[in-house]
Amino acid sequence: MRTPKSVDIDITDRCNLRCKYCYFYNSPADVKTDLPLEEWLRFFEELNRCAVTEVTLAGGEPFIREDLKDILEGVIRNRMRFSILSNGTLITEDMARFLASTPRCNYVQVSLDGSGPETHDSFRGPGSFDRAVAGLRLLQKHGVRVAVRVTIHRRNVRDLEAIARLLLEDLGLDSFGTNSAGHMGLCQKNTDQVEITAPERELAMKTLIKLNKKYRGRINATAGPLAEGRMWTRMEQARRKGLASLPEGGWLTGCGCTFNKISIRTDGAIVPCNMLSHIVLGRINRDRLEDIWQNHPELWKIRERRFIPLSRFEFCRGCEYLYYCTGNCPALSYSLLGEVDHPSPDGCLRKYLAEGGRLPEEELLES
Amino acid sequence: MAEEKPVASRSVILREEFDDWAVLFDPDTAEGIALNPVGVLIWKHLDGKHDIRDIVRVVRENCEDVPEDVESHCRQFVDSLLKQGLAGTEIVNG
Repeated sequence: MRTPKSVDIDITDRCNLRCKYCYFYNSPADVKTDLPLEEWLRFFEELNRCAVTEVTLAGGEPFIREDLKDILEGVIRNRMRFSILSNGTLITEDMARFLASTPRCNYVQVSLDGSGPETHDSFRGPGSFDRAVAGLRLLQKHGVRVAVRVTIHRRNVRDLEAIARLLLEDLGLDSFGTNSAGHMGLCQKNTDQVEITAPERELAMKTLIKLNKKYRGRINATAGPLAEGRMWTRMEQARRKGLASLPEGGWLTGCGCTFNKISIRTDGAIVPCNMLSHIVLGRINRDRLEDIWQNHPELWKIRERRFIPLSRFEFCRGCEYLYYCTGNCPALSYSLLGEVDHPSPDGCLRKYLAEGGRLPEEELLES
Repeated sequence: MAEEKPVASRSVILREEFDDWAVLFDPDTAEGIALNPVGVLIWKHLDGKHDIRDIVRVVRENCEDVPEDVESHCRQFVDSLLKQGLAGTEIVNG
């Protein structure tokens, strides 16, 4: 592509919560600087010239910005669509009405991690569940499309059935997405409390697969236990059949983000991904986005990870799954090992099995 | 006879790629349509200054192997853009 199709923007460093597994705080993205409105508006004009079609606003908590409406009007004026990632607790009637007044809102994603306050608030803070649900209902009332992300951790891994019932039956969502708390940001300080063990991962996998069958495909995942359950079972099936490889297997192909999008830190630094915020490619309103996209060597280095064979790594030596594996997320490998160009230990099937994890029965996966 | 001079909708984005193909993206509907290089050429002349005959002339001058019924193809393409709300018209008495 000549220019990125979409841009992820951390629009603020501020948030009213401090969730124990927040990937943002205590990470390289947390630079403790917010840009003024004028800087964002000027940048949106460049995005318009670059024919960027959409932005995703995150942070921090986007709704904490008093000038969020002005920011969104700038996005709209520059011919883009938008999505917002939020904890849901600061959404007002007025803001919900504003979001509903434009056809440009893809969705507002609200994080909900429990079927009630006991599980959700345990890591997000007292009162946060009720306020998140209130925010979600306001959006629904005004016809704003709502997405929900459930982050799976040690305290809600046994609450998944009730969470699915809440979201898909009581709140009537079309679907919801899942991931597990990853070893980034504040989660690094709270690993033992937060990050699911191999047996818990197994439980989450099996529960989510069953629920996804029950609810006919209304649970989504591109990472985390549901995605792992599917992918790792495919890898095990390939191993049993003696297949030479799976598509893209055997190389560091796990990340495709840098081929269609780029990210901006709260201070205006241009970075490959908001989880690789230590790699500064340039700054908005100083460096040309199109030049960075097409020519920056550090961005190309990440794109060219796909030419690095897994067989190069000591970590993968002797692994039966090597030619089926893509090496998973470079941000997680950086967070865990300090290396971007390395397979992520968190996404390793062999490690998971060695820690006592088992794969879901194959018939569970049959549609 | 009045001839229309089509105008591309200002809110529609033209995303051009290295291979000369492009996507027309309507941010209001989130729908996109693929354009081949001839479609891109025509889109760029929907500026309120060119009527269909002007556009046909541009295509003949810039493209190879242009079929005899090029005018019909151009009208059909522009009509489809008008129908989808991706372009509008200015009528100029000829």
